[in-house]
Amino acid sequence: MSYQLIKANLNLYAVLKNLEDIAKYDEEIASLVKDWDVSVQFSVLNGPKAFIEFRNGVCTVGRGKYHNPSVILFFISPAHLNRMMDGKGNPIPLKGLTKLGFLKRDFIKVTEKLEYYLKPTDVLLKDEAYLALNTRLTLNTAAFAVSELGPLDPVGKLVTSNIGNGSVNLKVLPDGPGVYITFRGGYIEPGKGEADKPMAIMCMKNVKVANDFLNGRTDSFTAVASGDVMIRGQIPMLESLSLILERIPHYLS
Amino acid sequence: MKTYRFNNSQSLFTRAAKVIPCGIYGHLSPAPLVPPTAYPFYAVRAKGSRFCDVDGNEFIDYMCAYGPMIVGYNHEEVDAAAMKQYEAANCVTAPTPVMVELAEYLVDLIPIADWAFFAKNGGDVTSYALMVARAATGRKKILMVSGGYHGVAPWAQVPGHHGVMDDDYKNCIRVKWNDYAAFERAVNENPGEIAGFIATPYHHPTFADNELPAKGYWQKIEAVCRKEGIVLIVDDVRCGFRLDMRGSHEYFGFKPDLICFCKAIGNGYPISALVGTDSLKSIVSRIFYTGSYWFSAAPMAAAITTLKELKRINGPKLIRETGEKLLGGLVEIAKGYGYDLKVTGHPSMPYLRITNDESVMLHQDWCGECTKRGAYFVSHHNWFISTAHTDEDIQKTWDIADDAFKAVKNSRGV
Repeated sequence: MSYQLIKANLNLYAVLKNLEDIAKYDEEIASLVKDWDVSVQFSVLNGPKAFIEFRNGVCTVGRGKYHNPSVILFFISPAHLNRMMDGKGNPIPLKGLTKLGFLKRDFIKVTEKLEYYLKPTDVLLKDEAYLALNTRLTLNTAAFAVSELGPLDPVGKLVTSNIGNGSVNLKVLPDGPGVYITFRGGYIEPGKGEADKPMAIMCMKNVKVANDFLNGRTDSFTAVASGDVMIRGQIPMLESLSLILERIPHYLS
Repeated sequence: MKTYRFNNSQSLFTRAAKVIPCGIYGHLSPAPLVPPTAYPFYAVRAKGSRFCDVDGNEFIDYMCAYGPMIVGYNHEEVDAAAMKQYEAANCVTAPTPVMVELAEYLVDLIPIADWAFFAKNGGDVTSYALMVARAATGRKKILMVSGGYHGVAPWAQVPGHHGVMDDDYKNCIRVKWNDYAAFERAVNENPGEIAGFIATPYHHPTFADNELPAKGYWQKIEAVCRKEGIVLIVDDVRCGFRLDMRGSHEYFGFKPDLICFCKAIGNGYPISALVGTDSLKSIVSRIFYTGSYWFSAAPMAAAITTLKELKRINGPKLIRETGEKLLGGLVEIAKGYGYDLKVTGHPSMPYLRITNDESVMLHQDWCGECTKRGAYFVSHHNWFISTAHTDEDIQKTWDIADDAFKAVKNSRGV
């Protein structure tokens, strides 16, 4: 599996997935998309496929093909998609040429907001609302990236093969957000919220602690020992998960 | 029952984290202690089976410094032997006679040992054992057991972990413990390439039930090693002198070529040893391997006294019986609360787990509650029993365990 292909999978299945929460939690975007009824198919030659659907004010990002999408954006290679995601390239519209205006005028506002939330600065992180949403998106990206890196990345494969079965819950206290990652027979299923009967739990004391922890600004052992990050259950699963998560910056800087 | 607080431990840890990577690193890191708020981080003194932390709390210690302590902290005879040697000569330009005495003692004590080589840590001698096996055979590959612990050298670390490169373990082949077929398959798939097989006498991984060798396992392994010219290495760092004074291989009835000792050999004084058969002695003499403090005499004096004391009191028998008594009581107390406390491994270094909850959160809660009441229990690692643990310790431990089960039952409702 090539670097570009793994990165393309991460971009489509972990990064783009965050549009769902931007449409839900960012007031400006929520207002913008509330009446949209449009679907965009991302199709990468010899690479991943994903779709974004806006309907009734809800954004859904899914894997695979969308039945009769409004727009199809084609990429000649995983590297082509990655260039677009890095702001250095453009897709090839295959369907929905009449929607080009929508793509350039409206849809781009949503993707720009995605970039805004995923590229924090020290100044932006001082804003509580920004910090909260950045943390939520970082947590989501982590969970959904694991399901790609586990089977594809060399370290991920090595680690996943020994991780055992069961769910791991990652949660920001006191009220969330939270994500879970379920490992079962080599398959990895991420999700938002909490899994029932997890085998391991990692709770971060508050949003600030979570943001620092998830972005590698604190030493994880110190955070755990000091009680800022609380872990319980099958600790080896959390250790393995941590090794997979640390592969994310290798692909997404 | 009164529960402890750890304010001074936490304060000291905060200071430590500023100047020491992760505050406390390695196997003493609080990270696997769940919850860390139920555990002391720093000790100020120790005696016998107990230690006191920086908050003035006293604990009956069932970790024994993760194995080195076996005849009790600050053991008078052991300390006196070490002090006498410190006063005479310790780290000097030339080795001292005590080094010869210790080597002679080990060669007399351990049937397969024809020589002894000393270092400081278990990892020093496990890594050296691999070098010896490779030098002796001219082969590069090492067979080892998945989940087995042999120290922190890159070859011994879990693949994928930080600072470990693919090249570091590319010549290490891991097979499942007690899976003779997998061992045989690995040997057959690498004809003439396996230098050595390194394993602990029984499987004592962390975070998992411990497993004794299946009937005939070691004997079959030994037979293949003899047939294929593979050097058989026992990592007796953790079990050594706890199961059998002559080495744990005697307990399980087989004969290795090399044995690695550390931990209990010096009752806390820093020393490790590699012992082996005569056929490997000339190879060992050709491999340059040393360290600044490996000739320190005081730990050698401590080791001689520790081993003699263990032999005098039949230490392995004593700690097995103490372990059996302690564990039997704990299992019964657990039953009274509807909990199944499973004990695996050897009674002198048991691994415990409450099976009612496979996530082990229940077990972690109970260990934390016990520790807060003065019985230092960890949930992720096998415990250690020493000859210093008394009937009084056991009774107090049972009382603590009972109260902790009550607390867990009350808080969880199940």
